This record gives sequence, C-alpha cells and structure tokens, in this order.
Amino acid sequence: MTHQTHAYHMVNPSPWPLTGALSALLLTSGLVMWFHFNTSLLLLMGLTTNMLTMYQWWRDIVRESTFQGHHTPIVQKGLRYGMILFIVSEVFFFSGFFWAFYHSSLAPTPELGGYWPPAGITPLNPMEVPLLNTSVLLASGVSITWAHHSLMEGNRMHMMQALLITILLGLYFTFLQASEYYETPFTISDGVYGSTFFMATGFHGLHVIIGSTFLIVCYLRQLNYHFTSNHHFGFEAAAWYWHFVDVVWLFLYVSIYWWGS
Amino acid sequence: MCDIAPDLRKGKIRMNCFLNVVFGDGRMQYKEQRMANTLGNLDEDDGIPVHLKGGIADALLYRATMILTVGGTIYAIYQLALASFPKKQG
Repeated sequence: MTHQTHAYHMVNPSPWPLTGALSALLLTSGLVMWFHFNTSLLLLMGLTTNMLTMYQWWRDIVRESTFQGHHTPIVQKGLRYGMILFIVSEVFFFSGFFWAFYHSSLAPTPELGGYWPPAGITPLNPMEVPLLNTSVLLASGVSITWAHHSLMEGNRMHMMQALLITILLGLYFTFLQASEYYETPFTISDGVYGSTFFMATGFHGLHVIIGSTFLIVCYLRQLNYHFTSNHHFGFEAAAWYWHFVDVVWLFLYVSIYWWGS
Repeated sequence: MCDIAPDLRKGKIRMNCFLNVVFGDGRMQYKEQRMANTLGNLDEDDGIPVHLKGGIADALLYRATMILTVGGTIYAIYQLALASFPKKQG
C-alpha cells in the first residue's frame, strides 16, 4: 500500500485548469469579435464556460475539504499564504490605476486647462452618495467582524444574521454606485478624468460584486453546516477579501472623489 | 469546544458534536441525514476523481463544459482564420 511522505494535499487529476484556460481564450477572442465584428456568440461561450469552470472547481474544493477532510492545518496554512499573495497581487493591480490618476491629476496639462478637475468636468459631490457609500462599506466591515466572532463562539443564528447584513450592505453599495453611474454628467470618454474615474471605480465595483458573491457562497455553506467554530478558512478568505475591497474604496474616496474634486 | 482531537476525515464527528451542543439529539439526527444525503459517497475509496464523485449530474456537467470549451476553441480558431483573410470589397 502506498502512502505519501509529505503533508501536502495532492489533488485528483482535474479538468478545470484546462477548461479555465480555454474559457479565458474564449473570453478574450470573444471580446475581439464583439468589439470589431459585432457578434457576441464567442463572448457568451466564454462567460458560460468561465462560470461553469469556477462553479465546478470550487465545488470540488468544498468536497475535498468539508467532505473528505483533506484540509489539515498544514494544508490550510498553504491556502492562507495563497489568499494573501492573491490579495497582494490585487493591491498591485489597483496601484496601477491610482498611479494613472495621480500622474494626470498632480500635473494637469494645458489641454485640461492646467487645473483639476479639468475644464468642463463637473465632479460628483463627495458629501452626497459617495459619503453614504463609504459608511455602507465601513458598516459592512463591522458586521463581517461580528459574523466572524459569532462563528468562533459557535453562535449560529448571530453568525447568519451578521453575514446577511454584510451581504445586504454590499448589494446596497452596488445599487447606489450603479445609480451614481447613471447620474454622472461625465462619461468614460471625457478625457483623462473620465478614464481614470471609471477604470478605478469600475474595477472596484466589479470587486464588490465578486466579494458579495463570495460572501453569499459562505452564507449557503453556513446554512449547510460546513463551517466549524475553529475551521472555517473559506469564510476567513472571504472576510479578508471584503476588507481589501473596503480599503480600496477608502483610497478611491479620499483620492478621486474628495481630493480630486 | 467541538473539536475533540479532530479526525478531519470524519466530518460527521465534528458536525455531530456541534449539532448536539446547539440542538440536542433529536435535531442532530435529522440534520445528519440531510447532510449525508446531499451527495453520493465522497468518502468511498472507489478511485473516482472528486470532480465526478457526485454521480451522474457531475458527469453531465463535465461533458457540457468540455464540449463548450473545446468546441468554442475550434470556433475561435475558425473565426481567427476567417478574419485573417479579409474579402475584397465590391
């Protein structure tokens, strides 16, 4: 009988890395077809196969951990490192957009009128919906901490209430931001102001949607008794990601909405 | 509190302890039944890889995903070939 002489989890051969890579090909080539030839079939196939891959890959991880018990403390440590490194990579991703914003706004060119916000741009009032959005995300940071402590203390009802509040706040943020997007007097095409504004806030909004989805999955798992009071890394990873999203918003609010107006 | 020298392979032990503390014996059996019946036997050492271990639904979803991705790839390469040789106008 064979046995491994190391502590790490060697997963069963899986088709999902391949389908994931192929779905990325379909997404990118699909975008090209949509932009240049006005057909969306490839893009649709890309989105579908991407969703299918993510669903099945993460479903398998839940099976390996919750149902097969492969996530020992050492394996979990590796997962922690992995999530931390992923979030660090996302920090660098957003740094690029902040760099672009500061590059253009600290030394506004003559074409912009030599000042920021540029000539012709009416920025959003930072004391209105953007401030509400800030309070919504900060509150969601509090509620997710409450959820975590409830989970650690074995308080099932409180954990689910707090997690639900967090999710609802996240959805509320998305709704508010979407309505702001509808109301802005400027568009992404309005010079470098529009570009930096919508690229930075747009990707942030996408991350809020991703984070909310992650939290909803955690909620469903909690409903099905997957988490224990001291083994719930999926929830912790979601919480880390959510705090990251919150911090990015704080930088966005201070830099683009407040200082940038 | 509910982690008695956790034998992580036997997820049911963890869950039973938790349920017992929170709900008592009666509800424990019902919940255990629900959780056990959610999927096929993931614990069985039958050589089936985890992505197919849930039964026929797994196999169907896998096939659908593969057909779409591989088919889509062929279609993407076909479109690329088409776009590489533009037809002359008029």
